[in-house]
Amino acid sequence: MTAHTTTAPTALIKEVADTAEGVPGVAFLRPGVTDRLRSALSRPGPGTTGTPTAGVRMVRSDGDSPWCVEIHLVALRRTRALDVARAVRDAVEHHLLAVHPAQAAPRVTVTVTGRV
Amino acid sequence: MTDRTDPPNDTSAHGDDELLPCGRPLSQVWDDWERHPDDTHLHACPHCRDAVRGLDQLETAVRDLRNEEADSALDTTTLTRRVMDLVRLELRPGRPLPLGGPAEDLWVMEAVAARVLRAAVESVTGVRAGSCRLRDLRADETADGAMDQGVAVCLDIHAPAGVSIPYLAEQVRERLLEAADRELGMAIAAVDIRVTDLVPTPADGQEGGAR
Repeated sequence: MTAHTTTAPTALIKEVADTAEGVPGVAFLRPGVTDRLRSALSRPGPGTTGTPTAGVRMVRSDGDSPWCVEIHLVALRRTRALDVARAVRDAVEHHLLAVHPAQAAPRVTVTVTGRV
Repeated sequence: MTDRTDPPNDTSAHGDDELLPCGRPLSQVWDDWERHPDDTHLHACPHCRDAVRGLDQLETAVRDLRNEEADSALDTTTLTRRVMDLVRLELRPGRPLPLGGPAEDLWVMEAVAARVLRAAVESVTGVRAGSCRLRDLRADETADGAMDQGVAVCLDIHAPAGVSIPYLAEQVRERLLEAADRELGMAIAAVDIRVTDLVPTPADGQEGGAR
């Protein structure tokens, strides 16, 4: 019953995270409490961003199948959650299709986990 | 070891008190500055003047800090509440609930949606929101295989006494649906409202406050 999945390279996940975080209305991608504590304690050096891929999960079953992208984000309170989620989905789909046009369209799931 | 902040080597005569080069203990200089401002030595002695200046700076800094804390008390409360909100969300986020249309793979966590809806409900004068549970009807497949769309809300409220309950419930339902659409973009299929308590209206005139 164990499905074999491939996780995307960190660089690609980082690209997706940057794309999602750049969408208006996104406060930040969802780092868990442990991620927050870890980043606060480890104090990453200049030029690093701690755990840049927190809030993004990206897997596929094999090399030809489309990426399944899960994004967890915290939205700004003044925005409509649905509008932000749609904009993030569209931006990520657009980015992945632009970078890897030969690959199948990804399946992007967006979950709003908080509003600040 | 000449820095004045270092503890003196010999503290036997004055305990922890620092002895100034002029021979006066620091505590006495500070005390005299407040009790005997006319003391000519305080004004003539450079060591005592330095000590008093340091005390004055310390007092000013403390006073500024105290004023700053008083001014920012509200901000601190808000910040604390937001931090705790995030921590609670991490601990009890609830289940994901659908946003938008049935074919969209977009979600919001139950705790986030419930907070929005509870706040909207409490904008009705005199109403306090209690438990607010949300259920994804898509997950509830009926016996004949059909599926309902949207989210069902089960809401407990405390209502102000002396107000028509059906009228109040309608107000609450309207605010809730409006917030669900405007702030979340969530399709609400059903709203069940349970009035769990009637709260006396304040004597200063909140009558008819369910408007």
